[in-house]
Amino acid sequence: MSTFLASGPNLGRGGVGAWLAGLSPAGKAGVLAVEVVVMLVVWQLVVGVFGWINPVFLPPPTAIWQGFVELVSSGVLWPNLLISLQAWLIGFVVAAVIAIPVGLLMGTSLPVDRVVGPIAWTIYATPSIAYQPLAKAWFGFGIGPVIFLVAISALFPILLNVAAGMRTTNPSIIRAGRVYGASRTQLYRWVYLPSTVPFLFAGLRQAVVLATIGMVVAELSGSAIGMGALIIKSVNTYQTDQAFAAIAIIVAWSVGMAQFVTLVERWVAPWTRKGRR
Amino acid sequence: MTTTTGQRGEPEASPPAPLISVRDLSVTYDVARTGKRLIAIEGVDLDVHEGEFVTVLGPSGCGKTTFMNVVAGLVKPSTGTVLVDGSPVTGPGPDRAVVFQDYALLPWRTVFDNVKFGLEMQKGLKGEGWRDRVQEAIEMVGLAGFESSYPRELSGGMQQRVGLARAFVAEPRILLMDEPLGAVDALTREVMRDEIDKLIQKTGKTVLFITHSIEEAILLGDRIVVFKSHPGAIKEVIETGLERPRSERSVQHDPRFLELRDHLWEALQGEATAAAVSK
Repeated sequence: MSTFLASGPNLGRGGVGAWLAGLSPAGKAGVLAVEVVVMLVVWQLVVGVFGWINPVFLPPPTAIWQGFVELVSSGVLWPNLLISLQAWLIGFVVAAVIAIPVGLLMGTSLPVDRVVGPIAWTIYATPSIAYQPLAKAWFGFGIGPVIFLVAISALFPILLNVAAGMRTTNPSIIRAGRVYGASRTQLYRWVYLPSTVPFLFAGLRQAVVLATIGMVVAELSGSAIGMGALIIKSVNTYQTDQAFAAIAIIVAWSVGMAQFVTLVERWVAPWTRKGRR
Repeated sequence: MTTTTGQRGEPEASPPAPLISVRDLSVTYDVARTGKRLIAIEGVDLDVHEGEFVTVLGPSGCGKTTFMNVVAGLVKPSTGTVLVDGSPVTGPGPDRAVVFQDYALLPWRTVFDNVKFGLEMQKGLKGEGWRDRVQEAIEMVGLAGFESSYPRELSGGMQQRVGLARAFVAEPRILLMDEPLGAVDALTREVMRDEIDKLIQKTGKTVLFITHSIEEAILLGDRIVVFKSHPGAIKEVIETGLERPRSERSVQHDPRFLELRDHLWEALQGEATAAAVSK
């Protein structure tokens, strides 16, 4: 979590900025916790205590928590959550398995880049919601269209980042590789691939967020099951507290997976770990 | 271009063949954006003998790095020849190692593994001796204790020490140094200049050392090759003729040092002005 507070250019270091920059990891987590608590308390006051907003439109945090408890105790949550996560994981793995080799190929070969690049950018630029009706036509009403939308949303950030990583390998390091006798395959293995690793993980982090969007978009209409379907059903029956609880679970999954990717990166690529800033 | 090289004694037998022999070397690039040909260097002739320390001095953009890259085998000559130990250079080889201005270390490798890289690619890591050789090189450049640090955890000067160890561990006959101290701070620069001098005197390597610092060129070089720009070419070659070991303090009142410095300063000033005008 501390990475959220530490990122960004530190333009000048006065007052609060200096204090934040000097915090320990535990201190940074503390700041974040305080921020979250303050936000929840204000929310609770505005909706729950003063009643300035109709709780049907925006339920207070305590009601959302109750909604969550109801979802769990009624047994509604698990089947919906499991089917969503299943579709998410399958779609994400499919995306990674296709995107990594194609991205490497694009980064290596200019002809492949020229042919695949424009197509990749075009599909990436298309809003995933546009594929939603088509996905139903192609893959029916089960988990198929959800996997498709997750995969197509996650594919391109991975692919384009990997390709960019290969292409932007530091030319000076390539020269050093050649000077010390690396063959073409040795350069590929010992210079190009490792320098692409940070880009791969940047792509995976973006893909986590986009995959989650793809998943919810696919489930929002025409699905009988899944977290998106649960949100729609809850809203249609005026149980907005349960809808918000479902959204919170999706957000937790998305943030959790992004953090997981970061953990794997620290383990696989310890050299990218940022120093104190 | 041959100057006062003949006064070394050893009149017996014919002089040994030069280790590096450059004849009528030119490198031109096609600039795609303007469609013009850019002449990086033109008509360069130079002989470097075994064990010689040659510094190459010139303003930015005079083609001295291009020249070094041709000797390294990284850039192909457009015309002319480069012979190393009698054979034409067709690419990089184990007889030459390069120390880069921007260190060019692999960020994902520790100090030990970066130095190991100097051995790994061309010769492989068979047998047991390589560990000792890597460790020896690390100790030689004063990095003992930093074997498992990553480059980004080190200062610029220490990173360049890794670059030096990587070059030395490959046991080349020729060390090519491309402004190796250009990116380190002034104080470290002086300390490392003297250390490089000692290492070279100890190991007896043949060195081509690119720099734009007049003091560096005089303090390190047996000979100084002065480059001019537009097009890049050799302007003159000067024997330094100063006793070793040299240090900034020991030579700064030496009339020969002062004479060289004034001479080079004038030569470079003219070049720098010409370069600024032609831009």
